Amino acid sequence: MTIGLFAVFIVITLGVTIWARVTTKGTDDFYAGGRGFSGPQNGLALAGDYMSAASFLGIAGIIALSGYDGFLYSIGFLVAWLLTLLLVELMRNAGRFTMADVLSYRAARRPMVRTAAAVSTVTVSVFYLVAQMVGAGALVGLLLGIHPGETFMGISPEAAKVITILAVGMMMIFYVSYGGMKGTTWVQIIKAVLLMAGTTVLTVLVLGRFGFNPSDMLGAADARSGQPGDFLNPGLRYGKDADGIVGKLDFVSLAVALVLGTAGLPHIVGRFFTVPDARAARTSVNWAIGLVGAFYLMTLALGFGATALVGQEAITAQDPSGNTAALQLAQAVGESVAGPVGGEILLAFIGAVAFATILAVVSGLVLASSTSLAHDFFGHVLMLGKPKESQEVAVARFSAFVIGVFSVFLAVLVRDMNVAFLVALAFAMAASANLPAIVLALFWRRFNSTGVVCGVYGGLLGSIALVALSPVMSGGPRSLLPPPIDFHVFPLENPGLVSIPFAFLCAVAGTLLSREKADPERYSELSLRALTGAGAHAPRTKP
Amino acid sequence: MQADDLAGLAADERFRLLKTRFRRLALTIVGAFLGWYFLYIALSAFARDFMALPAIGNVNVALLLGVLQFVSTFVLAWRYTRYARRMLDPLSAELRDEAGQRQAERERERRILAERHRIENWTRR
Repeated sequence: MTIGLFAVFIVITLGVTIWARVTTKGTDDFYAGGRGFSGPQNGLALAGDYMSAASFLGIAGIIALSGYDGFLYSIGFLVAWLLTLLLVELMRNAGRFTMADVLSYRAARRPMVRTAAAVSTVTVSVFYLVAQMVGAGALVGLLLGIHPGETFMGISPEAAKVITILAVGMMMIFYVSYGGMKGTTWVQIIKAVLLMAGTTVLTVLVLGRFGFNPSDMLGAADARSGQPGDFLNPGLRYGKDADGIVGKLDFVSLAVALVLGTAGLPHIVGRFFTVPDARAARTSVNWAIGLVGAFYLMTLALGFGATALVGQEAITAQDPSGNTAALQLAQAVGESVAGPVGGEILLAFIGAVAFATILAVVSGLVLASSTSLAHDFFGHVLMLGKPKESQEVAVARFSAFVIGVFSVFLAVLVRDMNVAFLVALAFAMAASANLPAIVLALFWRRFNSTGVVCGVYGGLLGSIALVALSPVMSGGPRSLLPPPIDFHVFPLENPGLVSIPFAFLCAVAGTLLSREKADPERYSELSLRALTGAGAHAPRTKP
Repeated sequence: MQADDLAGLAADERFRLLKTRFRRLALTIVGAFLGWYFLYIALSAFARDFMALPAIGNVNVALLLGVLQFVSTFVLAWRYTRYARRMLDPLSAELRDEAGQRQAERERERRILAERHRIENWTRR
């Protein structure tokens, strides 16, 4: 039944994608959906791009197993949007399709800046993509109820994983290369509506079980958590007292990356340009804040509700990391409302929503990176800023294919590793490589090409190097490499606390040490354009 | 757009006012939300006994402050939007129109010049 509902989603989104293909004419359509989306539409799509399966199933699971500490993720993910709200209008006014448009606006050596931005965009996206696709592979076994050692219609769990990753990869390549920004945006909107509807139904049913008294739900959750008395307090998962100061700094480092990373995520930035003007961009971020906020508040009910109604033992029995908590909760409350059939129906619905969520988020990521490859690298570096529009769109479609295939390949390769850290790393990279460059490009008069390039590469390589030298890679209890290998010198698992200041430092040092002269007139032009919208790219046809 | 047009507008009193207002607003909001967020994170990491105190029923201080983070985010977004509508949008619309007018004027001058050039060339032939 999950498969049936999901098939309906696929058919509808395919239809929309084909329609989008017909109405997509040039770069404005392919990269920015013709800039014709309204604020609320784009707000839904922003929320759709942002709320991944990791946050739906993952955060509900973390809350269900670690209680309060899971909630911290939700808060970081939401608060980050205020920074986005402050930057969105400036970026919409100053840019055209990508972050690189803003970074290279007054740079003397543009190809260098464009290349750096494209490298950073593709790296962040691919890391995030691989994490999502591996998650999808793991999820399908759980959704279809295939346990290790069993088979489902003659498919072993291992084969099911690979098949899922391949299928998700094919779908996302199709959405992006065929439908471009228009198709992908509609996929996001449909997914966001489904996800909000699913979580709202679940939340209402769960709270209804406790007479709409959250305090009672928390009490019941605490009692069935396996850690009564501590479950609602900080410290079960992050910065455990046993880990001392290092553990606590690691936790702070994670919090920094979450709050500063969002405004630099390529698939979020790409969405700023799909609306007619800065005001609509502001409206869309406000909508996203409302939706994302409501969603993360509801994950509280899902997570604590799962512990209260399903119980910690039953959750860990199904999946030790708790990713199935929301699904088990759906089945449990469905059953209590309408018997076993109700349980099956609600489980199928929430399962289909989870699939839709994964598919939509990976599509957004592929779109962002292929846009950057085609527009920044092909259009502005290889073709010196003078490509034919049709040529550039063709390259974008082809890049979507290449990036898609590459990520599928990587995801299949690492499918059995614990890659959950990749999501946090993608946020840390976005916060270190992209955010400092964007902020300095908009607000620092002296900032120049060398500064951008140093900042972007410094942040990117800095965060990757720190993770490679951290317990994530070697020498820790959950390291990727087996025990005897240990070359970790950096104690924190999350690099943000060090890599973000380091990136700022690189950007400033690069600017001051190079002999390149900044162009004050171009800066005045940029700030005038960013703040007023004079000369900003308008929609091709009036909306 | 011509550089001297923009230089004129960029030096305009209204643009300076817009810039100051935006920067003051942005700094206030960034300061408020980052300060409050990191205070909360620091409390979660280092003041666990305080966070564990019961507030309302089974809701402890930690959960209460967490929900307040949501509330403060909504409130700050709303305040920003309201302020921007009242104090920033009218100024920026005015400047944008003016920049558009200047550009149109320059465009007209350029066209007249080109036309004159064409006529001169024609009569000379």
